[in-house]
Amino acid sequence: MTMTAKNNAVPTPKQGVKYLLGALSRKAWIWAYLAAGATYVAAILAGSGGGGGGIWSLLYVAFTFASFAVMVGIGQMFVVTLGPGNVDLSIPATMTLAGTVALKFMASDGALVVPGLLIAIGVGLACGLFNFGLILLMRIPPIIATLSSSFLFQSLAIWSNRGLRIKPPQSLADFATGGTVGIPNAALVALLVSVLAWVILEKAIVGRWILATGQNKRAARLGGVPVNAVHFGVYVGCAVLAGLTGFMLASFSGGANLNMGTEYMLMSIAVVVIGGSSIAGGNSNVPGIWAAALFMFLLVSMLNSYGLGAGVRLILTGLIIVSVVALASKKRGRV
Amino acid sequence: MTFKTMLLGVIAGTVIVASGHAMADTADKRIAFSNNYAGNSWRQAMLESWEKVAGAAAKNGTVAAADAFTTSENQATEQAAQIQNMILQGYDAIVIDAASPTAINGAIREACDAGIIVVSFDGIVTEPCAWRIAVDFKQMGRDQIKYLEKRYPDGGNLLEIRGLAGVFVDDEISAGIHEGVEGTKFKIVGSVHGDWAQDVAQKAVAGILPSLPEIAGVVTQGGDGYGAAQAFAAANRPTPTIIMGNRQDELKWWSEQNAKNGYETTSLSIAPGVSTLAFWVAQQILDGADVAKDLTVPILRVDQGDLEKMLKSTPEGSVANVEYSLDDAKNLIKSTK
Repeated sequence: MTMTAKNNAVPTPKQGVKYLLGALSRKAWIWAYLAAGATYVAAILAGSGGGGGGIWSLLYVAFTFASFAVMVGIGQMFVVTLGPGNVDLSIPATMTLAGTVALKFMASDGALVVPGLLIAIGVGLACGLFNFGLILLMRIPPIIATLSSSFLFQSLAIWSNRGLRIKPPQSLADFATGGTVGIPNAALVALLVSVLAWVILEKAIVGRWILATGQNKRAARLGGVPVNAVHFGVYVGCAVLAGLTGFMLASFSGGANLNMGTEYMLMSIAVVVIGGSSIAGGNSNVPGIWAAALFMFLLVSMLNSYGLGAGVRLILTGLIIVSVVALASKKRGRV
Repeated sequence: MTFKTMLLGVIAGTVIVASGHAMADTADKRIAFSNNYAGNSWRQAMLESWEKVAGAAAKNGTVAAADAFTTSENQATEQAAQIQNMILQGYDAIVIDAASPTAINGAIREACDAGIIVVSFDGIVTEPCAWRIAVDFKQMGRDQIKYLEKRYPDGGNLLEIRGLAGVFVDDEISAGIHEGVEGTKFKIVGSVHGDWAQDVAQKAVAGILPSLPEIAGVVTQGGDGYGAAQAFAAANRPTPTIIMGNRQDELKWWSEQNAKNGYETTSLSIAPGVSTLAFWVAQQILDGADVAKDLTVPILRVDQGDLEKMLKSTPEGSVANVEYSLDDAKNLIKSTK
């Protein structure tokens, strides 16, 4: 029907609400934003008198904690983009190792913040190189390779400091927990990372390479894409982001825990999927990561605020995530 | 030549064994420690205490060996396999911090059938042939409310930080707290899961705070008090009385607040050194002592009076600890007979 009507079809207006809605509904990430918004409203309604500041303080808190999930989520997103079977399970261990080593090195001394940051990034770099070595040089499937290397990183973290929590330097702790013009500093860092990631993915040739590799590795290689170099950059980049996040989180929460990264294993994958990136690879987006990270935090906060037990909360979390993902992928299929 | 050295070695060995034998009847006994998890500061301190006390006992000949083994994945199946290895290696006693109270019962039974003494602690096992050095987690919960009642005779709102959902310990402490609250003027207005980790607790508390009225006290499970304090500070809310869990950063924060504005609270947890108590109990059983199957671990509590002393003796970033001696074990055994 549409075929025959094509001749005298009215050209779609390039402006107006209808066009805007149409364009937006084509974006996979819009659903994550809608879900986050709805959860936010529900959480606010649960408020039993935290004062007028409640509305804003929840948003502030949500942005603070979402930023950690965003940073590891972006790293994971690039890895997932590489196609089926590509996932980095060593993110929690890399975070822990980077946080532990960097905080031990700084020994709460404010003068060593910059070298400490460089050490955290260096640890991430080393972890990424190790992962890449296992995956590409030794031909071990990424899931097995990163899972086994995560045992190694975790053991190194245990060995390096025996689980002692060293406090971050005061200046660094103040920065990590503070805010600038009403925006949490952690969110500003995550925003910077996001903008960089968006430019790389959407505007740079490297982004096209990553997407091409994810859509069809063989075709990409034949088409002249340096597939191995792409893998190298993505895995190392992901580990560096994990190291940076570990450094930020340890500074934020007053020290590195041996188990501090645990929840970011599933979180990093969940924000990628809920954010509308394809789990099969080759199709990713950055804005969705933010929506998904906010959504994940607000969801738990909302269910906590309604005073639901852990069992109900976990069931609802699972159900809501499944519905958001199902809704988003259905919409995407139709367009 | 070689024969001579060998002979000398055998003689020397016999002498050592014989002299050790004079000290205790357990000098030729080997004790293994099966530990299910090492990934937090409490567990690390626990392993260190074991090394210090049990290692010394092995060196001075009280026992022949006291080896610690930790599984990598915190899985019951993995720990069951580990215990089966220990049976094959011929240990005389196995001290165990179990991944599950029931899932490794089969392996425990096998060990008992092989004539091995099994002593479980912290993470205890239900298999009747094993000894249990259990923590009265419910009491830990009730004690918190008892303290808060003294501080706030008129009651108030409480925020509960729970541990890891679905774990026995979490249910027990929480049950104790709720039991304690019953019949008082306190009201639990919010409950979050902090997974016994400061960063997780901080995140969970920060998320629920905007929806909560004024909070008088925060009841916790250990390893979450500092995170809660940070969340309250970040939200610019008055700091409630947060029950601490003996972590050094918690004690230090408390001491700083006390110096600043006279802040007072209490702190309670199980000392990681409980592994050494389990060691001595196992040694006593091997020595032929008559020991009841169910023992209770003393709770290590830090109050305002002994805060500074405890803080000084706790390494930075670690957990307040006491190591138990042979006499402590003997006293515990005597008192529960």
